[in-house]
Amino acid sequence: MSEAGVRVLDDLVWDEVTAATQGAAAPCFQCGVCTAVCPWGLVQKEPVNVRRLIRLAQLGTDGWGEAIWLCTTCGLCEARCPRGVPVSEIILALRRLAWDRRAVPKGLPSMLWAIHWDGNPLDQPPSQREAWAKGLNLEPFTPEHELLFYVGCTGAYDRRTQKIARSLVTLLRAARVRFGIFPDEPCCGESIRTVGQEEYLAEVVAANTERFKAAGVRKLVTVSPHCLDMFRSHYPPWDGFRPLHYTEYLDQLVSDGSLRFKRELRGTVAYHDPCYLGRRHGIYDAPRRLLAAIPGLTLVELPAAREDALCCGGGGGRMWLETHAGERFGDLRIREAEGTGVEWLATACPFCVLCLEDSAKVLGVERPRVVDVTELAVRALGEASS
Amino acid sequence: MKPLDIIVCVKLVPKPEEVTVNAETRTLDRAKARSALNPPDMNAIEMALGLRERHGGTVSLLSMGPPFAAPYLQVGLAMGADHAYLLSDRLLGGADTLPTSLALAKGIAKIGEWDLVLCGEESSDGATGQVPQGIAEWLGCSQITYAMDLSFLPDGRLRGEREIRGGHEVVAVPLPAVVSVKLAVNEPRFMDMERRRNPEAVTIWSAADLGVDPKWLGFEGSPTVVGAVWQAKSPERQRQFLDGTPQEKARLLAEQIRRML
Repeated sequence: MSEAGVRVLDDLVWDEVTAATQGAAAPCFQCGVCTAVCPWGLVQKEPVNVRRLIRLAQLGTDGWGEAIWLCTTCGLCEARCPRGVPVSEIILALRRLAWDRRAVPKGLPSMLWAIHWDGNPLDQPPSQREAWAKGLNLEPFTPEHELLFYVGCTGAYDRRTQKIARSLVTLLRAARVRFGIFPDEPCCGESIRTVGQEEYLAEVVAANTERFKAAGVRKLVTVSPHCLDMFRSHYPPWDGFRPLHYTEYLDQLVSDGSLRFKRELRGTVAYHDPCYLGRRHGIYDAPRRLLAAIPGLTLVELPAAREDALCCGGGGGRMWLETHAGERFGDLRIREAEGTGVEWLATACPFCVLCLEDSAKVLGVERPRVVDVTELAVRALGEASS
Repeated sequence: MKPLDIIVCVKLVPKPEEVTVNAETRTLDRAKARSALNPPDMNAIEMALGLRERHGGTVSLLSMGPPFAAPYLQVGLAMGADHAYLLSDRLLGGADTLPTSLALAKGIAKIGEWDLVLCGEESSDGATGQVPQGIAEWLGCSQITYAMDLSFLPDGRLRGEREIRGGHEVVAVPLPAVVSVKLAVNEPRFMDMERRRNPEAVTIWSAADLGVDPKWLGFEGSPTVVGAVWQAKSPERQRQFLDGTPQEKARLLAEQIRRML
């Protein structure tokens, strides 16, 4: 409640907010760096006032408005925060309270129902989950396999990103890796977590953990950095469980000589750091080493790279919400890459590929072409193994 | 206005893409298909919960189906419904819309207090759209079909906005009433996980509990005769790729469309 600049503290709200944020907002001393660096300030007249949201959480009061749903959980503010405040966690906690108040954007309940009924947020039939692997004759996972290939919902269903999953299969086969897939692979729950449905997430994580353990899953390679984040940071670890992103795994295969790029690929490439690979898990070098291992390819750094990279706009549940034309971070990233004159803008995340490619199409930019690291790597395989 | 006691009739349906057709037995083979609550029934539940928020009262769910439908009714309870009833009996199996609407009407009468019955417009498997009207007939009360929005007039009558070809029609009926709800008129709220963790028991009634002569129920009570059942083949797509600049492609596309007009 706010009247003439006076904010009335409601004990019930205070209890809810402090319990949900668990004191995470306490270290904030309101310097406002978060608001200054938030990418929304680049595309909207008014930036998202992150500092204010944190202050409201500190005071244990509400009045967050729509702003909590804009956050892509890109973590740029967290990387710059002098007090180490876990801003995204606070935003997700506020989203959780918004669910209790039924103040959630249209479309998000339907996304959760799609996961409940069909096991994926894209509202696609489970019977089509394996369609991405048509004709590849992949083996169902057994404990004898070296790893479980976890394709994820976007890689499984989205036509564009299915190509990334298929490229990765080609690369793993070229390196003679024995891997299996889950024929009825479950959703990792990333979209549940990032829209703030922590309680539903707990149910999904518990069920998946049981399934993965019972199936003897130890090493698991994901296509998406978002699935990686779930398995690495939000699942209870079990004996031998080792989730890896494909860039980390392929990097190992290249360094131990199992994967060789024999064909030259002349050209220049810039690498876009996905937030959930870079800032969330510090994986900056593996994808760059992979690109550097391709003969003939020259890696050019974007002006905003590594810890400073700009988000594509698809994280934090934003894939399931509409972002108005002219307000898409991807547009800025495409212009930035265009300015470097590279032929390819490579990245390593299905959400990034979709958002960046969308922006390139809308802007009519044909160079650079948006590609996934796997797609360049496949082109660099020798004749025999490609 | 006094609080409303609302009963929502819901049906467990197989996922359409997983159903196969058995031409010999002239039935749908649902053995391998996963189930879900019928989509417009979810909209009916949401509408009922919204009315309860505005006017107070209770929301009860009623379904006819196999025993494995009970956990699906608990999904509706987790959304916020107060009670759930399942009519489950071999004698109720194989029913067409006549004995189905009779059994549901008897179930509604057995629940007792009610002002309003909401149903989805039709089921995604049978798709007859006849059950809501059947229930209203058996109960001898007013009905509104294909409703998009419900509210109350100052005189207590139920005001329903319904979709008709080319526009909307507004009708008013006295309570008690049966209403069929259009698909996708609202976004069903997600489950409350605390309610989901502590599920309310579903009350299960047999055919005998309904007090109807079994010859009027299930397969025996169904006058429908299925002549034949077959799987329709989806038409082959005639893919064509257009070459050229965007302007040329647009011109070629416009030519193609013009030829079809």
